[in-house]
Amino acid sequence: MQQTDNNIEHTIFNIEHLNKKIIGMSGYKREDFSVCLGCKICASVCTVNDLSIDANPQELLSSLFLGRTVEKNHPLVLFCTNCYRCTHNCPWGIRIPEIIRAFRETLGIESQFEKAFKGAVKIWGRVYEPYVFLKSATYMLKEGYIRYVPKWFEYISFHLPYKIKGR
Amino acid sequence: MNILIIGGGISGISAAKVLLKTHHKVTIVEKSEAPGGLMEKIANCRIGFKTFYDEIRDDPNLTVIKGTCVIDAERVNGSFKIHLEGQGHIDADRIIISSGLVPYDPKHLKGKRIITSLEYDAMIDQKNVELPEINKIAFVLCVGSRGNEYPLCSSVCCSYSLREIKWTLQRIKPEITVFYNDLRFFGQEFYMEKVFRDAGVNFIRANSRYFDEDENGVTIRYYNDNRIIEDRFDYVVLSIGLHPNPELKSLSEVFGFTLNEYGFIKEVEPLKTDIEGIYVSGGALEPMNIKDAILTGFGASSKCLSDLNGGFDDTIENKISYEDTPDIDNIPVDLNSYLFYLGIDDPSFKMFYEFLSESFINIAQKLCELGKNVCIVTQNLVMPSYGELLYENARRKGVIFVHLEEGQSLKVENSTAYIHGQKDVLSFSFDKMVSFNDYIELFKNKEFLFQYRTEPQIRWNPTKWDRKHFFYGFCRYPRSERWKMREYFGAVGEVILDMEEERVYPTLSEERCSGCGSCKDACPQSAIEMIVHEKPLSVFGPNFETREPIAHIKEDVCVGCGLCASVCPSDVISYEVPFK
Repeated sequence: MQQTDNNIEHTIFNIEHLNKKIIGMSGYKREDFSVCLGCKICASVCTVNDLSIDANPQELLSSLFLGRTVEKNHPLVLFCTNCYRCTHNCPWGIRIPEIIRAFRETLGIESQFEKAFKGAVKIWGRVYEPYVFLKSATYMLKEGYIRYVPKWFEYISFHLPYKIKGR
Repeated sequence: MNILIIGGGISGISAAKVLLKTHHKVTIVEKSEAPGGLMEKIANCRIGFKTFYDEIRDDPNLTVIKGTCVIDAERVNGSFKIHLEGQGHIDADRIIISSGLVPYDPKHLKGKRIITSLEYDAMIDQKNVELPEINKIAFVLCVGSRGNEYPLCSSVCCSYSLREIKWTLQRIKPEITVFYNDLRFFGQEFYMEKVFRDAGVNFIRANSRYFDEDENGVTIRYYNDNRIIEDRFDYVVLSIGLHPNPELKSLSEVFGFTLNEYGFIKEVEPLKTDIEGIYVSGGALEPMNIKDAILTGFGASSKCLSDLNGGFDDTIENKISYEDTPDIDNIPVDLNSYLFYLGIDDPSFKMFYEFLSESFINIAQKLCELGKNVCIVTQNLVMPSYGELLYENARRKGVIFVHLEEGQSLKVENSTAYIHGQKDVLSFSFDKMVSFNDYIELFKNKEFLFQYRTEPQIRWNPTKWDRKHFFYGFCRYPRSERWKMREYFGAVGEVILDMEEERVYPTLSEERCSGCGSCKDACPQSAIEMIVHEKPLSVFGPNFETREPIAHIKEDVCVGCGLCASVCPSDVISYEVPFK
């Protein structure tokens, strides 16, 4: 890899170690993503593009295989809603949101809430609301989520965490 | 010998032609009310089919059973006893299956203004005097093929979309946009593509599934030039793929031959199923165009004849020329990274995309298995029907594909390649680069059969060069290896059809020919050449010798169409039509 002008993005041929890790984190094999045809159907149906942001999910896949870096402010990494419309319309059913989640995790731009949610799932195999609430209390206070708390009490019941069978 | 052909489409009729020529009894079982199959449904091919079928329609050895299908079959002493639905039973010694293809039905996408290409074809049919108002129209390719559910490429959708653009432009002049993944054209279609590009047809390398339809049009959203673009069209034409006929399943239960996982017949020998005495042609093999359906139709029946008679005599074999596919696998394997560039601007070499795409992918996959870093930068990958599986496998196995968009180009400097996009520049460093231009010498100064012979309307003969030369293999049209023997049997079928054919040839009186050359321009077969003759000329007394070009008709090539006689300004070329 050579370093020259700023506007020329250099790529190396082999998959970078980081990108290998991202694919591993998504829970699928490399070939499940590399089957991409490059048809850009995903971009045409992407909900992020409803906000008139020009984003192409296929570009994320190609940067994964070309060893390019993905910036923290990439619109898909920031705004992907995990709606799976891309997967549904993709001729090969490629699960792009899973890749984007892995990107969010490695780039360290997950919110505290997300981290707490994932942590709960990691420990008990399901969500335990008190844990999530306590872990991300500062974040939720800051973002103004606290005004929804009265509503939560309508369906939250306090109990000890249930465990998924076999965990 | 009784031979049964299941399916009366173009391929079944082609098979029947060869068999009738060799004096066999032929029965065609057709499910619908009239023969024709898919070709009948396309307005501009209907007449072609009719003329093709009319040549054998009244043959006493031909029986066409319409509106029925095979429900049961039993084997009696090497021949078959076949039960038809509501029509009793018939006996057959050999069977040719040409059940054809079925167009995909995109139910979830269709609407009033989002129509399939077959519906659009009916719309722009010459018979319809009044057309709906079309100012802007979009063609969306690869609908119902090249996906999870159906991984094969239908191999005809690009071509027929191109024809539909042609027929549209002949009648009205709307703004046309084509959304494609790869432009899989063959032969001279690449010239057509260039003509349409110059005429303002917009080709965009992107596909879309965002269709917002209302009363007056359809909004399509697509990604191009690093941004999302919304555009409105009056009509959207979905170029649907061709799937295997579902009837093949019941046929395979009746006869016992095996199907592959995609629903097509498994070919053990060329054009033959794994059951003795059952042959296969046309769309039952794989998705193919009309010309290939004719080729395999001829081929299946000549393969059947070859098994009956134990080969062919030398008079047939001598007419058929073959050229072996050149070996291009001479790339060193001891390097680290490889870059393949599959792109060329000259349309006369684009017909070799099909051959080189497959060769490049094969080599790239081999290198990838050795642990090398391989990248293929493509303008266009032509991998029709089963070729798509190879392409899919290469993608899965780690070959990296970079598709160049419209207007992007690849530049190479000091073992680094740069792709200039709209936003940024991508660069690759590599140890070895293999490009299309390296192999251009293979194709230069050579004439291939397909070079000017793709349109079936002009020539029905898939392998014929002239009456003494029939080509198969590399010199016909460079393509996948599985076609080699199919083309051979197809050529045999064509030689059989061509033998003893009654033809009236034009006669040319050389003394009166002025050498204007209009017949040479008119001849579709290039059968007329201008040769320079020494001609006595008397002007006021003494005789001079002058050298003048005069026309000469090559009898091998001439098909007796009569165009030359009709254009000759001084009636030098004439036909002696015998009185009946």
